[in-house]
Amino acid sequence: MIKFLIKGILRDPSKSIIPIFVITIGVMVTVLISGLVKGILSEVVNKNANLDTGHLKIMTKPYAENKDQLPNDLAILDLSILKESLELNYPNVDWAPRIKFAGIIDVPDKNGETKIQGPTLGLAYSILNTESKELKRLGIESSLIKGEIPKSENQILISDEFANKLSLSLGDEITFFGSTMEGSMVFEKVIMSGTIRFGTPLLDKGSFIMDLSYAQKILDMEDGAGELLGFLDNEIYNPIRAEEIKKDFNKKNINNLDEYAPIMLTLRDQNDLAPTLDLMDLITGIFIIVFVLAMSLVLWNTGLMGGLRRYNEFGIRLALGESKPKVYKFLLIESLIIGTIGSFIGTILGVSFCYYFQEVGLDFSDELAGTSIVMPSIMRAHISIDLFFIGFIPGLISMFLGTALSGRGIFKRETARLFKELEV
Amino acid sequence: MSKGYPIGGKTFMALKNLTISFNEGEFAGIVGPSGSGKTTLLNIIGSLDKPTQGEAIVLDQNISDLTHKKAAYLRNINIGFIFQVFNLLPVYTVYENVEFALLLQQYSGKERKKAVMEALDWVGLTSHANKKPDKLSGGESQRVAIARAMVKRPKILLADEPTANLDSENAHEILSTMKKLNKELKTTFLFSTHDEKVMGYLDRTIHLRDGNIEKDIIKKS
Repeated sequence: MIKFLIKGILRDPSKSIIPIFVITIGVMVTVLISGLVKGILSEVVNKNANLDTGHLKIMTKPYAENKDQLPNDLAILDLSILKESLELNYPNVDWAPRIKFAGIIDVPDKNGETKIQGPTLGLAYSILNTESKELKRLGIESSLIKGEIPKSENQILISDEFANKLSLSLGDEITFFGSTMEGSMVFEKVIMSGTIRFGTPLLDKGSFIMDLSYAQKILDMEDGAGELLGFLDNEIYNPIRAEEIKKDFNKKNINNLDEYAPIMLTLRDQNDLAPTLDLMDLITGIFIIVFVLAMSLVLWNTGLMGGLRRYNEFGIRLALGESKPKVYKFLLIESLIIGTIGSFIGTILGVSFCYYFQEVGLDFSDELAGTSIVMPSIMRAHISIDLFFIGFIPGLISMFLGTALSGRGIFKRETARLFKELEV
Repeated sequence: MSKGYPIGGKTFMALKNLTISFNEGEFAGIVGPSGSGKTTLLNIIGSLDKPTQGEAIVLDQNISDLTHKKAAYLRNINIGFIFQVFNLLPVYTVYENVEFALLLQQYSGKERKKAVMEALDWVGLTSHANKKPDKLSGGESQRVAIARAMVKRPKILLADEPTANLDSENAHEILSTMKKLNKELKTTFLFSTHDEKVMGYLDRTIHLRDGNIEKDIIKKS
């Protein structure tokens, strides 16, 4: 009997192909939208973490209070001792010292006179140290537009947009004007080895990357850094673990009377990210719930219409002696089979599109031009385990419930009345 | 028995204290205008409905006492239906439409094949076994419906206006086929009709009016 009914389903596009198609599309869209929304959220978190906040960040207390002014005169000193102690106490955290410094880039003409100048933000990362994870973490290699990663300490990478503004070519020598930690002037000749796209409008406007040890040298910050960033296991942000480490670290330093005592912040504590992340989390949750419910209603209706369209067939089957429960049972089994096939195909397609958008991303750089917050200009989907299940809520459960509701008519009515309604 | 339907707070009596019996192998018809109670009577005999008063005994079973499951079983084994519109399942072939009636019973594949081909032979459609219903004429479709109703060799066959959608030639052909099966298989045929052509074939004609039997005429053989 089941074989016979399946044969009927397969031969009738209105019973098989059309509902499977509708479910596939609905599930695919659900999975894709969920993956994109989650991806955008985690991209914001990762981008902030990698470029600016880390999962944890240590600064001196006064530096933290004035960090928007990049007060390197308040930077952490004796960095190696602090790092050693941190590695001992929190062994699974990778600690990355960084320096941010402001200044002016001066581009000379053939005669050595100033041709063009521009204000700039210097970012010192440990890029020449082969043991450092910074190159990979910041995705510098994949963000290169022209040239190569610095091979010697006086080479720098400049944001592509800034380099174009200054009409720079690869190998051009430029001068950085700034001030040391102690307030002395810095005039340092550096060479542009390449250009880079940060993917963040704020940094793409006028930043450059320099090796950390070289920056320490020219800024008189030997064994010092403005900020010491911590990244948790496998570079995955875990807010609970980050909070535990922060509490533990700050508890140990609470009695430190040194006015330059270090203080630790988590990602959420910085750049007003806590309310933003909470809001984004809430919006993501609401969006996904609303979307799943909307798709559920659509697919519920598909199940409902599928059942109602077949009342004539049910009438014939009842006349031939099939019992009401049996007709109903087969109707539900059919909806489960169709729902499962549609949900499966929809999930595969949805995850595949998510994978594409995870790898390639959607470029929003034009829309984000002028924004002053660290936002990724390429939004990517994020594939997580729940994407493999979320589509089954509208695809399978709603289809099943819709069919169950439409099939209730079989039980609710007297057989003779039903027969009349069935137009048999 | 009586049968009433609640309509707008009142009860419309479709059958009023009606007493009637049918014998095995009868070729009988229930005739009457719309609303006379023809379909209600057929529905009760077919275990699709129950009387509100009195008893309907079909093949020694009191219809009022049957559960949905038992009523379905009675229909499955002993009662065949033929409808005004042929009601073939369009996605299945002629063979499969006829076979469907047997799938609900415990027939083996071999037994099913034999029974289906035999039923198609009764109605002269063995050569159409693999055709879909949309490739058949109206007369052929109704013959398939007869084969489907008869394949399980029911004791009773209920036909509700079976010739209403057929031309004269096809109607006579269908009625001849049914008459032949009635004689060969001893199946009781009960028609609901107001088609003169059908009445000419009936051995017994029960005229209903307003839920009562007006006339019960048995043709002398």
